[in-house]
Amino acid sequence: MSLRYNRAMAKSKTPRKSSRKSPKSGRRPWFWRLFFRISLIGLVLLAGWMVYLDAVVTSRFEGRRFEIPSRVYARPLELYDGASVSAAALQRELELSGFRRGDGNKAGSYSRNGNRFVISTRGFRFPDGEEPRRRVAFGIYGDRVENFRVLSGDPAPIVRLEPAQIGGIYPTHKEDRILVELDKVPELLPATLMAVEDQHFYDHFGIAPLSIARAMLANLRAGEIVQGGSTLTQQLVKNFFLTREQTLLRKGNEALMSVLLEWHYEKDDILETYLNEVYLGQAGTRSINGFGLASQYYFGESLNNLEIHQIALLVGMVKGPSYYNPRRNPERATERRNLVISEMEEAGLVDPSQAARARGLPLGVSDQPSYSENRYPAYIDLVRRHLARDYREEDLRSEGLRIFTTLNPAIQYAAEYAVEETVPRLASGEVREALEAALVVTAKDSGEVLALVGGKDPGFAGFNRALDAERPIGSLIKPFIYLSALAQPDRYTLITPVNDKSFVLEFDDGRRWEPKNYDKEERGEVPLHEALSNSYNLPAVRVGLDIGVDVVAETLQAFGVTSPISRYPSMLLGSVSMTPVTVAQMYQGLATSGFNTPLRTIREVTDSQGEPLNRYPLEVDQVADPAAVHLVQYAMQEVMQEGTGRSAYYTIPEQLTVAGKTGTTDDGRDSWFAGFSGDLLAVAWVGRDDNGPTSLSGASGALPIWSRFMAGVPQHGFSPVVPDGVNYHWVNAERQALTDEYCDNARLVPFIAGSEPDQEVSCSGNLQRRIQGWFEGLFR
Amino acid sequence: MKVSVLTRAGALGAFLALAGCASGPGSIYVPIGGGEQTRAPEPPRTSTSEPEEEPVWRKSEQPEEPAVVEEPRDTAPSYQDSGERLSPAAQSLVNEADNLLAQGNTSAAISRLERAQRIAPRSAEVYFKLSEAYVAAGQLGSAEQFTLKGLSLAGDNTRLQRAGWLLLADIRRARGNVAGADQAEARAAAL
Repeated sequence: MSLRYNRAMAKSKTPRKSSRKSPKSGRRPWFWRLFFRISLIGLVLLAGWMVYLDAVVTSRFEGRRFEIPSRVYARPLELYDGASVSAAALQRELELSGFRRGDGNKAGSYSRNGNRFVISTRGFRFPDGEEPRRRVAFGIYGDRVENFRVLSGDPAPIVRLEPAQIGGIYPTHKEDRILVELDKVPELLPATLMAVEDQHFYDHFGIAPLSIARAMLANLRAGEIVQGGSTLTQQLVKNFFLTREQTLLRKGNEALMSVLLEWHYEKDDILETYLNEVYLGQAGTRSINGFGLASQYYFGESLNNLEIHQIALLVGMVKGPSYYNPRRNPERATERRNLVISEMEEAGLVDPSQAARARGLPLGVSDQPSYSENRYPAYIDLVRRHLARDYREEDLRSEGLRIFTTLNPAIQYAAEYAVEETVPRLASGEVREALEAALVVTAKDSGEVLALVGGKDPGFAGFNRALDAERPIGSLIKPFIYLSALAQPDRYTLITPVNDKSFVLEFDDGRRWEPKNYDKEERGEVPLHEALSNSYNLPAVRVGLDIGVDVVAETLQAFGVTSPISRYPSMLLGSVSMTPVTVAQMYQGLATSGFNTPLRTIREVTDSQGEPLNRYPLEVDQVADPAAVHLVQYAMQEVMQEGTGRSAYYTIPEQLTVAGKTGTTDDGRDSWFAGFSGDLLAVAWVGRDDNGPTSLSGASGALPIWSRFMAGVPQHGFSPVVPDGVNYHWVNAERQALTDEYCDNARLVPFIAGSEPDQEVSCSGNLQRRIQGWFEGLFR
Repeated sequence: MKVSVLTRAGALGAFLALAGCASGPGSIYVPIGGGEQTRAPEPPRTSTSEPEEEPVWRKSEQPEEPAVVEEPRDTAPSYQDSGERLSPAAQSLVNEADNLLAQGNTSAAISRLERAQRIAPRSAEVYFKLSEAYVAAGQLGSAEQFTLKGLSLAGDNTRLQRAGWLLLADIRRARGNVAGADQAEARAAAL
């Protein structure tokens, strides 16, 4: 307990005087000798004790001054003409970043009038420089920012908002703080603190015996502890060793340590540490230490933006953060705050009119803590694993690093919503209970992980299926089989007939393997693109065996699979196991015309002062011929329009063109869907943790989650640029010939130049040598 | 060797600055229940496609007004012949990057260009610029990859293609890959 300020006491300044008398007595010498010896022993013991206390308290002082958790930030929202964001998502994002709805004039506030927004940014130090304070205005039409203008501040066509803090990596003792420096806090804060808690802070030597005496007297009179006599130094010492215990020994130790602290350190050092150390509340398991964080926690504001009544509240709370908790006990807190304001007035820190006005104001506490701990457990888990490659755990816990991630809160929101909404509808009874899911969303062309859901309860920090569930990928492997084939245009094109007919593989050891189609049917010859879009197993295995299992495995490795890949033919039906994140990595190359783009969750890490430590730059690496990938992308669009993924269009609208692939393993143990639009790549998995059967396929389990997610996010459709060396032709696949656009069975199909058919068939079905080709041949 | 790479990269920069003032990004899909309606028709686009080409394939690029001939959805994988251009916001970041490159601050330039890339991820120009920055940083391997990525998005824009192939030729030559450089130069010459 801290000292309750007592005005009467403060006024009656009695000079300190020594009342010690030198005792005169006539005792015998042996007694003196004994007394002397005992005193000596006592003195030595005390000295030893002091040395011990000194070591304890100084190490604590030094250690605590520098132990700050690392802060993890979401990606900043960039505002500019054409930025895709919905009004609802923007408002959520503003609230997450601690903006308050108001007039849009005060830094950190915004106003919304229908689709029109005015935002006053706070300014933020990014790793690549300062983003100054600005006031901006714009409208949102069709989920797109329009008429973006900077009303005040540096003009710019593009502005970054302060990023939302999405988590922290805390010291093992779970204390959190935002470090402040004494010369940078508003002067009113330390002044008020001293006026209320310790008027003679700059004069005493750590303890104020007189105050203690007075407090003891008051306590004796009251018959209970109503006053503490602690100086700020003593309170600081007490904070170092948080305990409710109030024994005499403890008090004695505290007093000794306070004196020792004062002996070692300057007053300003002690005051600054106090400002950063004092316990001001509890957020779950995390303790709120220091005024810097308390200001964020209670007001969503930085300390420098606080007004008189807010400073008064924080100082008042020092006395009992839980008792005076303004969120839970607003009346008590208001009473206490107004008492402090009166003290401020009394001490001449504010004038009477200011004080009267401040007393009349509401508490001004934000509704919610500006972030809750571990809002995105699965995502933070991935961030920590990435950090572990370059940083030691203890540094993350204590060095106050600032970690700038790629998490997009709006995308994460849509991803969580899609999982939570969809999973309960996929099954009933026991299976529903057991059903789990994971969803990974990345930015298609940058490989940034935008959202991650690790289970059907996204807020629960348990088994992270997105990272740790290694499951057979089933038909998700097929695009890589056909890519390996289409990379040989002299052998395979999209219309090459492939055989959908059963066969038996006999191994040397006598085992037999007889793959089957999902529907157990056989269709004979089908064009390759159809075999992929309908996910027929038999042609996939035939083509895979023709190309070579090793070639397919090499393709997978080129696309970023680092785990060992079995070379058994069953791998052609996806017996190889991967996590959803690995699948996302692998599909990144398919989505981006053959460029492997390493997945990233961290853009930059800086130290607590904002100096850059590490940058994790965008990297691309061409691993496949863009022409061959383009053909696969064609067939993967066909999956969505005519193939196994077409039910997606029950949920997503027609104009959003997408491409993807379903995957199912035996008895529906794993249901996969991996696909992409122009902007986003998403991988969904559904299955049971016990690997039990479900009645789901990729199309009925994972695809509904994927579609619901895609339908909820503004984005561009998938429309790949035709790469060099690819031409589209109208063809009649059945006749393996070019044909006229308006003929029956005509289909516009891309070919790698030179691999298109050289026969032409007319609408009436007459086959002829292609005229142009014939002339070309003549003059060659 | 390095000097020649830099000069050509500079020339590319000048070209890109000219090319950058084209239309903004394609139309976006708006989720149902996203609430707000589309206010006005999309601004007219500068189409680089041949007039006789079927516009229906370019779904994500279609203007908002109902098309006269509504092609059924069922058989229409989408593609486009031309890449996307830089939006003004991305262009402003590229300009900042140019200034930083001129001051020799390559890491800050790369960081600006990555911001531009996030805004305009399908524009070849951004990747060519990144390549230029990595040339300046002496990381020719990365430069080569970004050039290739840019080329994959250049579409039927022969000026962009030519600029990309020439840049690639210079980078490959600087890396000692003479055959690859000659090949790239031949591609440029064939345009």
